[in-house]
Amino acid sequence: MSSRKRTTALAALGVASVLGVSACGGGGTTGGTTSGSNAAGGAQKGGTIYMLTKRPAEHMDPQRTYIGRDIFNQQRLVYRGLLQFPAGKSGADAIVPIPDVATDTGKSEDGGKKWTFTIKDGVKWEDGKPTTCEDFKYGFSRNFATDVLTGGPSIYPLNFMPSVAKAYKGPYLKTGQDVYDKAVTCNGNVLTFNFEKPWADFPMAIAGLNFAAPFRQDKDQGDKNNFVIFSNGPYKAEGGKWTKGTGATFVRNDQYDPKTDGNRQANPDKFVFTEGLTNEIITQRLIADGGNDKYAITDRSIPPAFYNQITGDVAKRATNVPSPYTFYILPNFNKMKNLKVRQALAMSTDRAGYINALGGAKAATLAKSLVAPDLPGYKENPAFSSMPPSGDPVAAKKLLQEAGVAMPYPITYTYQGGTPTSDNAAAALKSGWDKAGFSVKLAPLTDTYYDVIQNPSNNSFDVTEGGWGADYPSIFTVLPALFDSRINLTGKSNGQDYGNYKNPDAEKIMDEAAAAPTADAANAKWQELDAFLGKDVAYIPNYIQNFYFLHGSGVGNYNQNPAVSQFPDLGVISVNK
Amino acid sequence: MFAYIVRRVAAGMVMILAMSLVTMLLFFASPADPARYTCGKNCTPQLLEQNRKALGYDQPVLSYWVDFTKGIFVGSEFPKDPALKKSAPETIADCPAPCLGYSPQSSRPVRDIIVEKLPVSASLAIAAFIMWMIAGVGLGIVAALRKGSIVDRAIVGSALVFYAFPTFFIGLGLYVFLALKWGIVPVPAYTSIADGGVGLWLQGLFLPALTLALVYIAGYIRLTRAFVLEVKGEDYLRTAQAKGLTSGRILFKHTLRGALTPIATVAGLDLGGLLGGTIITEQVFNYDGLGRTAVMAATTYDLPVTVGIVLVAATFVITANIVVDVLYAVIDPRVKYS
Repeated sequence: MSSRKRTTALAALGVASVLGVSACGGGGTTGGTTSGSNAAGGAQKGGTIYMLTKRPAEHMDPQRTYIGRDIFNQQRLVYRGLLQFPAGKSGADAIVPIPDVATDTGKSEDGGKKWTFTIKDGVKWEDGKPTTCEDFKYGFSRNFATDVLTGGPSIYPLNFMPSVAKAYKGPYLKTGQDVYDKAVTCNGNVLTFNFEKPWADFPMAIAGLNFAAPFRQDKDQGDKNNFVIFSNGPYKAEGGKWTKGTGATFVRNDQYDPKTDGNRQANPDKFVFTEGLTNEIITQRLIADGGNDKYAITDRSIPPAFYNQITGDVAKRATNVPSPYTFYILPNFNKMKNLKVRQALAMSTDRAGYINALGGAKAATLAKSLVAPDLPGYKENPAFSSMPPSGDPVAAKKLLQEAGVAMPYPITYTYQGGTPTSDNAAAALKSGWDKAGFSVKLAPLTDTYYDVIQNPSNNSFDVTEGGWGADYPSIFTVLPALFDSRINLTGKSNGQDYGNYKNPDAEKIMDEAAAAPTADAANAKWQELDAFLGKDVAYIPNYIQNFYFLHGSGVGNYNQNPAVSQFPDLGVISVNK
Repeated sequence: MFAYIVRRVAAGMVMILAMSLVTMLLFFASPADPARYTCGKNCTPQLLEQNRKALGYDQPVLSYWVDFTKGIFVGSEFPKDPALKKSAPETIADCPAPCLGYSPQSSRPVRDIIVEKLPVSASLAIAAFIMWMIAGVGLGIVAALRKGSIVDRAIVGSALVFYAFPTFFIGLGLYVFLALKWGIVPVPAYTSIADGGVGLWLQGLFLPALTLALVYIAGYIRLTRAFVLEVKGEDYLRTAQAKGLTSGRILFKHTLRGALTPIATVAGLDLGGLLGGTIITEQVFNYDGLGRTAVMAATTYDLPVTVGIVLVAATFVITANIVVDVLYAVIDPRVKYS
């Protein structure tokens, strides 16, 4: 499972095809799961943890990293930022930002437009030099060099500092440097961000993403730095870099002072990352549990073919938790303009059949909203909370008749196909929709999928699918990203608004939520927006992908939680000697 | 002969450049947008355009190819941005000739990537080559000498079993049973001689090389058997027998010399093909060689790496062809090139 925060639906859907399903050994709650003989505490120091994975890291440059797995592995091991999430906690407690290199979680002024942090003394880079306010200011400036540093979550700094983004081209060309120097200032060890819009959950953003991580100017070589790792965390990379396609080994950073941290346990002496393995080999190795694989973990779900092998002692080493990734079905508003037709579509959607095709309850959990349950402000969408998982074709047929359209009503469902699993899942949807009076044509696509559904002029489909995970724990990074036509719809592309949804009333609520001075006020507005979108059938929540992972018998303090996007938390993990 | 070699090398170079152009044409003809892949989530049209520019895919394919070809002969630098070079020269990656481009996904010159991955593929190819040549030719000779016997049938039959299975099946089978379930050999992992010495290097190569060898052995057993049987019927061998030479001398000095010449030709071409990367075996055993890198490059729309590996693989095949053709003339005096 690709399991990435930055994942566009492209990758999010791609991972659906490799979902693992099986009996569950560990947790099973949305809050996270913990296992291991010393899970309750008293973790042993020393030893080596081996991370076995498939998907190669795309970036190790903190400002460019946009994959959840990599963001949190970096945070726990090598990159310390202003704030962080607690290690080893579960549920809502896991996503409360706490200080890291900053002395506190920041002071907000001017309705969330101005944020001030004080930098701690004693936090050092791996060469012994202190991590300074200037390092943070320089690191943040790199987000504006979008011509050199591609792929990162720079959209957030650019969005909240639009004038700076217009004038300033980053620290390499230095054009507009004076504008940036006014927006982000250092006064001794006090760092101030002057945003042009309120950013109520800025602490959440910088704990959940690395775009505000510090960066040493004298170490910066632009794109050439992409896989270079210069640490101020508890570990450092052997050889100072990540080797793409192979991985890296992390050893203790002797310049790290745990007294300046208090969160990362840094139990093992070493972490060895191996990337490029197949899911099948990873699973086979973890089932066999031999040699160093006793101390191995993974971020890949167990493939369905291995279901029946996850029994007995092996099952005790398996964990199954809902991931942060929600998958949804959406009507194309350029074609499906009749609300009753959309309601009929929603009412007849056989989500249970879809989940069964994926592998059943161990593979996925029925979604009650596009918003993932772990996010602050989550509430089941009232439009879908009581909808039968298998749909109600009779009620749907009635709605379709009320719509006054000719029946059977022809629709084309375009999905990312090419695998038996995706085709079976699509067939389940077709069956439910056909029963309700639709005449469904299935149109699977492979490489060209996003070129088709992102083309606003392409009216070849009526219904399609998408997948999304929040960038950081805020609904702000979910609903506007997918349904705000002002940021998505251009002449050439619909961005992430695959259904070409455009509704001024919905956008008014988005603006009110974004302008809310507090997170609670914003969350109330986001709930209102989600209910509005549900009522308008802008989307139909389908399922939440489950993470079904195995780990070795010698792994201690094994923990998956929302702070690390439900991946293994390297901040607490240990080796049982 | 010298003129012939020069002509073949020149033709080979033209072919390699033509292959680079064809690869680029195919890449640019793809409906997928590589910039979309590198742009990240929340990609705005402006960011998408900047990604396309950073990747170098904003220029026409012919212009891209001309830049690439020029880089092979005179070198290049990335990104090609005079303003950036002036204000932040440390961000410019130098790529001296022969420059095969710069991978935006790996943030390195392609040549460096190939130099890093080639030893892995070469080690695997050579180890497998030695295995299948010794086993394939040896068993082929035994089968020929015992023609029609149960030994002959057993050798040819069992080899065909492995030949019938796909490489990934054999590889996974060996991996799972020999390494994981039975623990007869350690979990395979490539260790270079510099990092772990010859022992670990050979240990790591054993299973993947055996996988490749098992696939090739069947063909070589049958080839060797057929050629040895063919040569055994030649007049000069009867003459040798009539002169009273020992059977061992007849086999090794006369029979094999005649029979193995065409096998050497085939073996050279096979080895040349494998040096460019063994995609499936490298994938199964997670060997970070040219084959696995090629797959990763193709799936991440990394054009420079794709082109670089295509060119290296083509160079091996073309070189092997030229060497084999030249060797023909050396081995067989009847062959003359003019």
